[in-house]
Amino acid sequence: MTIDFYWRLPSHGCHGSLRDTAYDRGDWSPIGPRNVAPGLDRNGEDDGFRYVDHLGAIAKAAESVGFIGGLIPSFPNTDDPWVISPLLARETKAFRFMIAFQPGFLNPVHAARMSASLQRATGGRTVFNIITGGGGPSQLWWGDSFSHDDRYGRTTEFLDVFKGVWGGEGFSYDGRFYQVRDGGLSPLLAREEIPEIWFSGSSDAALQSAAKHADYYLSWLEPFDQLADKFARVKARTAALGGEQKCAVRVDLVARPTEEEAWAEVRAGFESLSPERRQRARGGPTDSVGAARQQALRPSDATRYDELIVAPNLWGGFSLLRGGPALGIVGSYEQCAARLDELIARGTDAFILAGTPHLEEAYRVGEEVLPLLGRNAGALLQAAE
Amino acid sequence: MTIQTYWQLDVAEDAGRSEPGARQSGLFRDVRPATLNRYDYYAQVAQAAAQTAFDGLFLPHRPQSDDSGIVAAAIAREVSRLKLIPEFPASAGSAVYAAKQAVSFQRQTQERLGWAITNAGESAARAREGDHVPEDELHARVDEFLTVARGVHAERPFDFAGKHFEVQGGGFQEPLNRVAFPKVFLQGESEEALALSARVADVHLFAAAPLSKLRVFVETLDALALRAGRAIEFGLIQPVLARDDAVDARRDAERAGFPDAAIVGTYADVAERLADLARAGFRHFVLAAPSSLEEAYRIGQHVLPRFRALTERVTAAA
Repeated sequence: MTIDFYWRLPSHGCHGSLRDTAYDRGDWSPIGPRNVAPGLDRNGEDDGFRYVDHLGAIAKAAESVGFIGGLIPSFPNTDDPWVISPLLARETKAFRFMIAFQPGFLNPVHAARMSASLQRATGGRTVFNIITGGGGPSQLWWGDSFSHDDRYGRTTEFLDVFKGVWGGEGFSYDGRFYQVRDGGLSPLLAREEIPEIWFSGSSDAALQSAAKHADYYLSWLEPFDQLADKFARVKARTAALGGEQKCAVRVDLVARPTEEEAWAEVRAGFESLSPERRQRARGGPTDSVGAARQQALRPSDATRYDELIVAPNLWGGFSLLRGGPALGIVGSYEQCAARLDELIARGTDAFILAGTPHLEEAYRVGEEVLPLLGRNAGALLQAAE
Repeated sequence: MTIQTYWQLDVAEDAGRSEPGARQSGLFRDVRPATLNRYDYYAQVAQAAAQTAFDGLFLPHRPQSDDSGIVAAAIAREVSRLKLIPEFPASAGSAVYAAKQAVSFQRQTQERLGWAITNAGESAARAREGDHVPEDELHARVDEFLTVARGVHAERPFDFAGKHFEVQGGGFQEPLNRVAFPKVFLQGESEEALALSARVADVHLFAAAPLSKLRVFVETLDALALRAGRAIEFGLIQPVLARDDAVDARRDAERAGFPDAAIVGTYADVAERLADLARAGFRHFVLAAPSSLEEAYRIGQHVLPRFRALTERVTAAA
């Protein structure tokens, strides 16, 4: 058994440290004395470097320590993964580009052509993280006015069409959201492999859609029992439909030589937050079921970092330090590896890991944590059986 | 304004070239991996255009071949100077999302993207693409598409409720809004196409045609744009074939089945004919010939310097 480990490419900006909420890597924040690269040289002149150079450095670092690829997130203020991936395609060798996108924003036939082209450009290194949730006012920002359950219906149809045209010419489809008459990719494009599909979403509508089309069901980290239940449910539901679903977790790590050093880093990060920042990070209205579950995990009025420890090596305050999920793993290299082993034993088939800052932590996790994996998994797997 | 020359990188031309599936086995030991492929050829064409001082590349939308946008991005970082103008269908999807992709490309490439939008084909061809917008609404869709794309780039909050697109509380924030929106290139010779360009295009590209016919188009569009309170730049997609001597040029043109509107002749002839077009008001020249790599070198090396020498006087007079 092998497990796929992805790293994250921070298309949403990159902090130089967990203790600092400023995006001082690259040009995310206005260029100032602290974030000199990329953008301006010492004379204040444009030096030709761009944020993609920073992302490229992270991709190459992750590739060289053995990560299979990287997730490129998609939010309103991110650089778009459909652009980042081909820009970096020829500068990497084995690194897979996991493109996060909401299917409703693209015509599925056009998306299939783009994907097959990217497969040709990369030698089959394209992976999808299909997002359907989000919701609330942010969907209207994107120009999308469909309701939550309709969006899952649309995602299902999008993937019907996407896979259908990939099957070759002569494909017709008459759905509620999409219709194609006698279409299909040309043989040149259709011979590429359909990208692996990772799927997110915790609602019933999401699980139904995932059961039909997803290769991996992707979840944010939740308390381990809760996560194991969810994975078991997803796998059972898919099996009932005659399919096989793999499960994956996206999780941030703070891994250090000792547990004390890891918690000291988290504590410093927490104590660097202003009260306003803590307030703001509590989250706005959403119809994302996953986001609501995360919000429920953390006390809304924590004044000390250790009030947010929800289990050994599990800290629920990551979303205060940056956007995204609340729960992450904190510990020594051995402890981090043991927690990941435990997740494997409880049904996790793949991971998307991340750490701040992304470049240095790719090396740290890749060199110090990944090689320790599997020491506990065997015993845990036996125990599970 | 200065004249811009682009080389056409047509993903459907020379289709077997560098395609791993088209390799012939033979006596020689072939060590080429599958990853040495068509994209290396695209990169070579781009480098040829860069080395021979073209200003950019134009990549037409070819539904059966590689997606132009993916190709443009895949080669962008190998040619640090060239502008890249991939053509994409108006049915690509959300205008907000397309604008977001454009802005990302602009950010990472120092604003080298051009936006060429095409209304791809008659209704059966569009139905194959999952595009069922009625024929008489196609131009209105492009109009809305651009209104939304430019709107979310320039304003925040941006609201729009149209027939094809809808946005509420939209608009890009830092750092996405720090770059310029790409220049918009549209095409078409119909009355509706010209009227649309008068309203929303930055550059209108015409298909190659006799100069007398082109002059009428230019005057019509110029007048329409003036009435809309705008100025449009004019361009041309022009097949060319240039050789050391005229006999060779004619022979190679016949061999290749060049279209009637192609400019065929000696390096000096071709440069002179292009300069005539510049005198008629054209400022954007998309030059095209198969095989793209060799011809890019030839045109770039022999025709462009002559063309530039002739048009320095044209642009100075204008």
